[in-house]
Amino acid sequence: MDYVTNLKILVIGESGVGKSSIILAFTTGDYNASFPATIGVDYKCKVMDVNGVKVKLGIWDTAGQERYRTLTSSFYRDAHGAILVYDISEPKTLDKLKEWVDELQVYSTKKNIVCLVVGNKIDKPRAVSRERGQAFAQKHRMLFIESSAKTQEGINLAFEELVQKIIETPGLWETSGPSSNIRITNEERRQQESSCYDYTCSI
Amino acid sequence: MEDVLDEVVSSEDLQKFEKVFHEQLHQGKVTHKAQFEYAWCLVRSRYPTDIRKGILLLKELFNSHPDGKRDYLFYLAIGNARIKEYNKALHYVKAFLEIEPANQQVLALERQINKRMEKEGLIGMAVAGGAVLALGGLVGLGIALASKK
Ligand SMILES: Nc1nc2c(ncn2[C@@H]2O[C@H](COP(=O)(O)OP(=O)(O)OP(=O)(O)O)[C@@H](O)[C@H]2O)c(=O)[nH]1
Ligand SMILES: [Mg+2]
Repeated sequence: MDYVTNLKILVIGESGVGKSSIILAFTTGDYNASFPATIGVDYKCKVMDVNGVKVKLGIWDTAGQERYRTLTSSFYRDAHGAILVYDISEPKTLDKLKEWVDELQVYSTKKNIVCLVVGNKIDKPRAVSRERGQAFAQKHRMLFIESSAKTQEGINLAFEELVQKIIETPGLWETSGPSSNIRITNEERRQQESSCYDYTCSI
Repeated sequence: MEDVLDEVVSSEDLQKFEKVFHEQLHQGKVTHKAQFEYAWCLVRSRYPTDIRKGILLLKELFNSHPDGKRDYLFYLAIGNARIKEYNKALHYVKAFLEIEPANQQVLALERQINKRMEKEGLIGMAVAGGAVLALGGLVGLGIALASKK
């Protein structure tokens, strides 16, 4: 199977907001009512069709638990897109999202990385208004969507919007395959050498 | 899920967490956090000696800090698999699954370990070949186990 490009997507946010559940819903359509906390970093991949263009998404699911906070930031490197998740039934998960925005600013290496804020669990009683989530996203110039991993609502749309925007962002991604005629600046070359995410994936 | 076993720590990370660990060691008091962070880097190193060191640190944590048990078990499995101590790795996987039988992250790791053992001929082509071959496979595994002790 050939695809035009590989994209690295990072999923971050407090523990329990539903990061892994969103990824599970997107990659398999399943839902698990008692999903265990992620250990360290998990990886899933999926090939997606965007306007007739095939892209392979490598989705990095980070643990939101405090003990992993300092560790997972090394996975931010070279991400093309980031999904920042909060739980609309738990206001403090949105308050805390600011810290994740800061982490992202410090550790992500692609300067025009596309970010999407996701308010998850809309099947539950709401404690955060849609407007509040939207305002947060706007303030940080990020896309915004609400979703439920349980009912699948908004899940595909979230990834479609994110990938669409990445594809539309000039200079953010390269086509895969021989890239001999792509000019690489020294800064970029240094980053490529220090990055060790040689991820493979069988479909 | 090939990536979990293939993923390699960056040298910056390894150095960063090594420094913190050694500073604390010098002051005579190493926190669980610092030890885990350093061990987490070590078991993802490309060098077996680093990985073995990481495994020792994780074992120590496992015995002294029950709160982090699942994390320690998981990385003990990864560390051992990376130095091809597959039987030990599967032992930790099994211990984990006794606590959380449906953990998909660990089940995926188990599949990955089995796949590697198969690829490296440690299980043999026994499955399709019927009882005699299967027995051969088991004996082979027994020998492998015995020689590891
Ligand atoms: N009602 C409802 N529950 C959800 C939804 N998404 C996730 N959950 C539940 O919330 C719990 C936590 O979900 P996870 O996906 O494990 O959360 P996480 O963000 O990956 O957590 P960490 O891995 O610890 O960072 C699980 O028990 C899920 O079943 C949703 O859309 N609706
Ligand atoms: Mg998770």
